[in-house]
Amino acid sequence: MKTFRLQIITPDKIFYDGDAVQLTARTTEGDVGILAGHTRYAAILKTGALYVYFENGETRTAAVAGGALKVSDEKTTVITTAAEWAEEIDADWAERSRQDALAKIAASQNMPDRQERANLKLQRALNRLRVSGKDPRPVQTPKKK
Amino acid sequence: MANLKDIKRRIHSVESTMQITKAMELVASSKFRHAKERAEAAEPFFHATYKLMAEIAAEDPYFNSQFVHKRTENGAVLLIVIAGDRGLAGGFNSNVLKMAQARIDEVKAQGGNPIVMPIGQKAVDYFARRDVKVLKSYDHVAEHASIYLAMDMAELVLHNYERHASLQSVEMIYTAYVSPLVQETQKIGIIPLDHLAGSHPRGCIVEYEPTAEAVFDQLVPQYVSALIYGGIVESFASEQAARRTAMENATDNAEEMIDNLSLLYNRARQGAITQELTEIVAGASANE
Repeated sequence: MKTFRLQIITPDKIFYDGDAVQLTARTTEGDVGILAGHTRYAAILKTGALYVYFENGETRTAAVAGGALKVSDEKTTVITTAAEWAEEIDADWAERSRQDALAKIAASQNMPDRQERANLKLQRALNRLRVSGKDPRPVQTPKKK
Repeated sequence: MANLKDIKRRIHSVESTMQITKAMELVASSKFRHAKERAEAAEPFFHATYKLMAEIAAEDPYFNSQFVHKRTENGAVLLIVIAGDRGLAGGFNSNVLKMAQARIDEVKAQGGNPIVMPIGQKAVDYFARRDVKVLKSYDHVAEHASIYLAMDMAELVLHNYERHASLQSVEMIYTAYVSPLVQETQKIGIIPLDHLAGSHPRGCIVEYEPTAEAVFDQLVPQYVSALIYGGIVESFASEQAARRTAMENATDNAEEMIDNLSLLYNRARQGAITQELTEIVAGASANE
């Protein structure tokens, strides 16, 4: 498989810089898959999961907290305020921040600004829990017919 | 001849001062190492965001965002002033505050309305005593600054920019880190991003989803928070470097002073001994 250079950049480090076969990301317009030789492209990323497929057949999942995706001829760049590989997510911490966010939402009923911020925090926490696969809450499995 | 006891006391006092400056020097240099790493780690994010925005502004011929337009002169100017939380760092704090005050005077002279957002205890204290509007103060945030704090600040700044058409520009005064011995106080413009719109289209075709403006506007808060975050961590690294240099000098001065005082002390002691001997010899010869 042909590979392309992928860079994932966060404020505190270059999270990943290397080759990948495919990248699947969730943008505001829907999920996109990037392969080598993709046309020049830029989109807004939603808080969600990022799937990176490597040449050796391995796949890694990362939780990202929104940002932007840019595909240019030489490389594909993901710029995000926070990124963690699924296996490195501290689920206990994410659960605590989920509860903290819920408390903040409850405490800021009349303050739309603060509530909006708490909502974003809740989304990030939920995203981390979802991506880590360690969501302690009962999972709603789709019913089989 | 100087009093022996007095000199001894002064030596002790200088010694204990030296102990403090030496300890502060060590603390500053360990904090500095950490802060410098953090400041360096923040760079790629800022550059990547900036580059992406510049590309969007350059590549799309129909590009048009509210953040790139220059607004009328003589409006309000928001100054983000980043100083330290503590003193004893040479000219670090006063340089920042001096530049900020100069800019405030300049804005006032042009008939504009300066507003400040001080970051760091020293800046907060300074503007609390001055006749200038304060948007919001932040103290003791630099050492453990996170991108989320910077995002909150960016949100506040952009919120004000979007709501008040009279807000002409947002500028940041911080201390750039050049080398362990050189730190430079700098003023940079944050909004408007008119420097981005000036670049020439290169005629590449890029697919934007949903639109170029949407991607660009989405990046603005990220860009501003990266800029503020970078300003905070870089200023903190500069502060530690400045304090280390200042404390190193203070320690050197204390050492020199102790050397001089010791010399004086030894001389005085020798003088006293010589005098005593002279008196004994004189006394003995008078008895003969």
